[in-house]
Amino acid sequence: MMTLGKITRRAILALASISVAAVSAGFVATAEAKPVRIAAIVLGLTSEFNVLWADAAKAHPRVADGTVQLTIMDGRIDAFVQSNLMDSAITEKYDAVLFVPVDVNAGNAPVQRAADAGIPVFGSNSLITKMNLYTSFINSDDVQAGEIEAKSVIDKMGGKGNVVIIEGPIGQSAQIQRKEGIDKILAANPDVKVLEIKTANWSRAEAQSLMENWLTAHPDRINGVIAENDEEMLGALQAVKARNIPSTKIALAGIDGVTDALVAVKRGEAMTTLQDATGQAQGLVDLALRHIQGDAYKPAAALWDVNGGALAWQSGASRHYFVPWVPVTAANVDALMAMRKTH
Amino acid sequence: MLIGLTGAASGVAVAGEVEIDSGVVGATSDILLSAVDVAKSYSGVPALFDGCIKLRRGSVHALCGGNGAGKSTFLNILVGLHQADGGIVLCKGRAVRYASPAEAFADGIAIITQELSPVLDMTVAENVHLGREPRRASWFVDKRRMISATRSLFERLRMDIDPKARMRSLSVGQIQLVEIAKAIDREGEILIMDEPTSAIGERETDILFEAIRSLQAHGVGIIYVSHRIADIFSIADSYTVLRDGRFVETGAVANIDRQRLISLIVGRSLSDHEKRPATARGEVMFAAKGFSRGNSFRDIDIDVARGEIVGLYGLLGSGRSEFVNAVYGNEPKDSGEVFVEGRRVDIRTPADALRCGMAIVTEDRKETGLVLTSSVRTNISIAALRRFSRFGAIVGRREVAAVDRQIAHFAIKTASREVPVMRLSGGNQQKVVFARCVETAPRILICDEPTRGIDEGAKRDVYAFLASFAAKGNAVLLISSEVTEILANADRIIVFRRGRIAGELRASTATQQSLVHLAG
Amino acid sequence: MSTPNASVEARTPRFPAQARWQAIGRFISGYGIVLSLIIMVVFLAFASESFLSVVNLMNILRQVSINGIMAMGMTFVILTAGIDLSIGSTLAIAGVVSGRLVIGDDPLSPILAILAGILTGSLFGSINGALIARLRVPPFVATLGMMSMARGATLLYSGGRPTPELSADFLWLGQGFLLGIPVPVIVFAAVFLVSWIVLRFSVYGRWVYAVGGNPRSAKTSGINVDAVVFSVYVVMGALAGLAGPILAARTTTALPQAGLGYELDAIAAVVIGGTSLTGGVGSVANTLIGTLIIGVMNNGLDLMGVSSYYQQIVKGAIIVLAVLIDHSRRKNP
Repeated sequence: MMTLGKITRRAILALASISVAAVSAGFVATAEAKPVRIAAIVLGLTSEFNVLWADAAKAHPRVADGTVQLTIMDGRIDAFVQSNLMDSAITEKYDAVLFVPVDVNAGNAPVQRAADAGIPVFGSNSLITKMNLYTSFINSDDVQAGEIEAKSVIDKMGGKGNVVIIEGPIGQSAQIQRKEGIDKILAANPDVKVLEIKTANWSRAEAQSLMENWLTAHPDRINGVIAENDEEMLGALQAVKARNIPSTKIALAGIDGVTDALVAVKRGEAMTTLQDATGQAQGLVDLALRHIQGDAYKPAAALWDVNGGALAWQSGASRHYFVPWVPVTAANVDALMAMRKTH
Repeated sequence: MLIGLTGAASGVAVAGEVEIDSGVVGATSDILLSAVDVAKSYSGVPALFDGCIKLRRGSVHALCGGNGAGKSTFLNILVGLHQADGGIVLCKGRAVRYASPAEAFADGIAIITQELSPVLDMTVAENVHLGREPRRASWFVDKRRMISATRSLFERLRMDIDPKARMRSLSVGQIQLVEIAKAIDREGEILIMDEPTSAIGERETDILFEAIRSLQAHGVGIIYVSHRIADIFSIADSYTVLRDGRFVETGAVANIDRQRLISLIVGRSLSDHEKRPATARGEVMFAAKGFSRGNSFRDIDIDVARGEIVGLYGLLGSGRSEFVNAVYGNEPKDSGEVFVEGRRVDIRTPADALRCGMAIVTEDRKETGLVLTSSVRTNISIAALRRFSRFGAIVGRREVAAVDRQIAHFAIKTASREVPVMRLSGGNQQKVVFARCVETAPRILICDEPTRGIDEGAKRDVYAFLASFAAKGNAVLLISSEVTEILANADRIIVFRRGRIAGELRASTATQQSLVHLAG
Repeated sequence: MSTPNASVEARTPRFPAQARWQAIGRFISGYGIVLSLIIMVVFLAFASESFLSVVNLMNILRQVSINGIMAMGMTFVILTAGIDLSIGSTLAIAGVVSGRLVIGDDPLSPILAILAGILTGSLFGSINGALIARLRVPPFVATLGMMSMARGATLLYSGGRPTPELSADFLWLGQGFLLGIPVPVIVFAAVFLVSWIVLRFSVYGRWVYAVGGNPRSAKTSGINVDAVVFSVYVVMGALAGLAGPILAARTTTALPQAGLGYELDAIAAVVIGGTSLTGGVGSVANTLIGTLIIGVMNNGLDLMGVSSYYQQIVKGAIIVLAVLIDHSRRKNP
């Protein structure tokens, strides 16, 4: 009969053996020809957008064929963790770092340290206050996104009524800029009143709680929900559906174009705008490769004009690229969902 | 040296001559359990070298030995809690090596341990039937049957306990009775009882012995482990003595007397209990007046003079422990005042009591007396840290010196002062508790059942210590449920009955009968 | 007394294999965690060229400083058989309070800001202590509630907004070096040293162990058990209040959502180090090893590029293993 002592001893031996095996495997794997080494520090892999971004980066042709060895590092939506990851990337002497910062201010110091160590940092999706520290930067214009979604909601409301706004983590550039866009549209529509505005920290669950409480506090008075991202919009949608409120009565909009949001658009329950994660991620890899390998580098991502896409490559020399938004409509939603399935 | 007796006719066997009745023995034989040369070491330290025993059907076989004799180790192996390093154990003729108590239990061996481990938040009936609850529709517990079965069991054993009561509400002695009933109810062929009377009073002991005799009549073999010599002579028919992990002697109780048995156990010749010399009473050192708390104790007035040992005698639940703990500040009281050397003192917490020169050896050293995970050194010094510290930092040298002094003074058997006390035997653990008390230089010592679960040798050490402590002009309050112990050690005896004082006697003139009579 | 009888011993059969296994088991459980740390370091030195560099080792130490400071406090709490789930929130509010004092044109000196953080942390810690020691709320429940309350207070006080642009003097606490060693590491070392001295050599330290080992015995020995229990939560709060400003200085911004989930890392460090959750057994030296194991593991796996999903699984497995070892050590003394 196995006593606890015996089980423990065997477990220790097993763990030790596994560790040896795993590390040896890793060791063997790294003892090959030297590819370009790039680290990508994302915001946090609990957000579907970030997962899409990371997957797209990994699917870049130069990564897939081994020219580039890409390491995805999870920032766990914690500025301290991202700072530590940057230190590790610097220690490991990566050739370039791709960075999606958590906080607009906290992101500065890590990028500065990388720059001091001679490692180029390429930013995506979220800004930092000291943009000049980036070698180059690719994102989508969040101000524009805010405008697009606010407009879509207010149009559906007929230009008047009450809205509630669900924000992202306060201080993240996406939140700051999308709010700027939303505010612009609100200023142009004096008949629209903002009943509530609060952050749900990009979380579906938090947004659902918020919306539930607001529906209780303002029964029958909410006409529109402007959520700064899709996760939050979907949470609010859940709350609305749980109360059996038909989708015609409340207009909801989010940003990003995650899969569940596409489904909602198809069902006519909400509106969203696609943030081209693939474009941002793969475009960024191209920019990094161009910096490392020189002007002769041919970009591989589909979004560039040289490859038939919409964004101008400009020899990869520009500091800041805007990937265009793609408003999701009934017309293109099927095509977009099909693309998602091939991932 | 090993002591031996010749003469196979006397039925006595000595080390080196024990035979195993193997081969001839079958399941229907007379011998239920036999063991030879059982050896066990813990962490490299041998605890048992050659444990031997032979248990017959319908026999009550006493397993005797002092602390560190190896009795607990031997029992643990017999019931499958630990595995032997060497030796042979035969159960009903079959060689066995139990990997767990469940296997031993399946073979018909049940044990009532010295450590009580009831499930406090369940009822008495649930505890008795733990693991073998009567079922209804095979999924649900049949509560009614459980309670009525428990009730009839208790009636058969003449135990007056409510099956529906929560274990938490029972006293230590009652819990022990429930554990005994639980083991008896399992109807195994072999029953091992480890210090079954250590926490129960005289009347309960009678109940237990009746139950044992009826089990005997049914052919059950009982191994009875106890430090109480009187118990052994009243209930056992055969004995085995272990000392320092080795087998010493086995034989019939009828062929040995008290004196010899004690000397076999202790290894040195000792005289029996004597009473304290009667002396004139000095001035009053300590007085408790008007102590009451609900139904636990009412209107208790007690005083103790310099050099005096006052014994508190009574049955289970008579309120003695509750009273002394209330005096010491461990438990609350509704009313009561304490006077030390004539001056009234306000005692609300144990810290106050310590400051007034009081110290207490509590009833349950494991629960309330020791920090089991801490070392001997830490336990001894914990109440008197102020003496070894300067500005809050402990001066190691002073502490070690004081602790070593205590270890020598009390003859505490331990590999080193850093050993965690949970590894010490019961008697040595109790000595650590005493050492802790003495370290605070008390003038008033309260002892609540101080010799519970410790061996003869240690008991005598405790008695000697109490006498010398009192002789220095200090006061002692001694709670005991053993009549002989209290008669031998107290100057005056106060008898408690149901929370009140039933009477007071001078030990020199008191008799067993008068005490038992007063206690109800 | 009898003398050992050699022939008796020679005659008795032994089971040597089992005895040998027991000895190995005892050795592993006694030195197991230090061994594990050494094994990990050795493997990582081979797996990644940069692991053993001075820069990386300093990184590791700096990275574990925040958790390490709090894990020292958690050791005090767990030694009394308690637990504190609110430290992540306390860390956040202390960071925000001290951050607010060092912004703008006339920032306060960093020392005062840190003191303010410590005071804030102590305040929340004393609420925990009062709930647990006086009102007898179980530690798990009390600190779980405090976790929400303190986080809410943080969001309220900060308006949900980060506090950026902290004074350069203050930032030195997180970014600067003293004699070549990162400041957070120095603070961690100091906290460790003081904790170690207190727990090992002071009367108060003995009280903590006694209260955790057996509160009733401790009470009988004259120790004010309630006061000791209250105090360990104040200590924990104070240390979280120290870690908060340092974290803010390190990330150059006092974030209201800082410290989410940090209590689990502190508890993990204590448990992996070998301090028992049932109280009375353990030490801050153990916790130091536990903290380093987590830090080395995180850092090593990051350097090797292992996905963070695996990191979480490995961390959880190590915690369970550590508790198993602790249990078996208890059962077979």
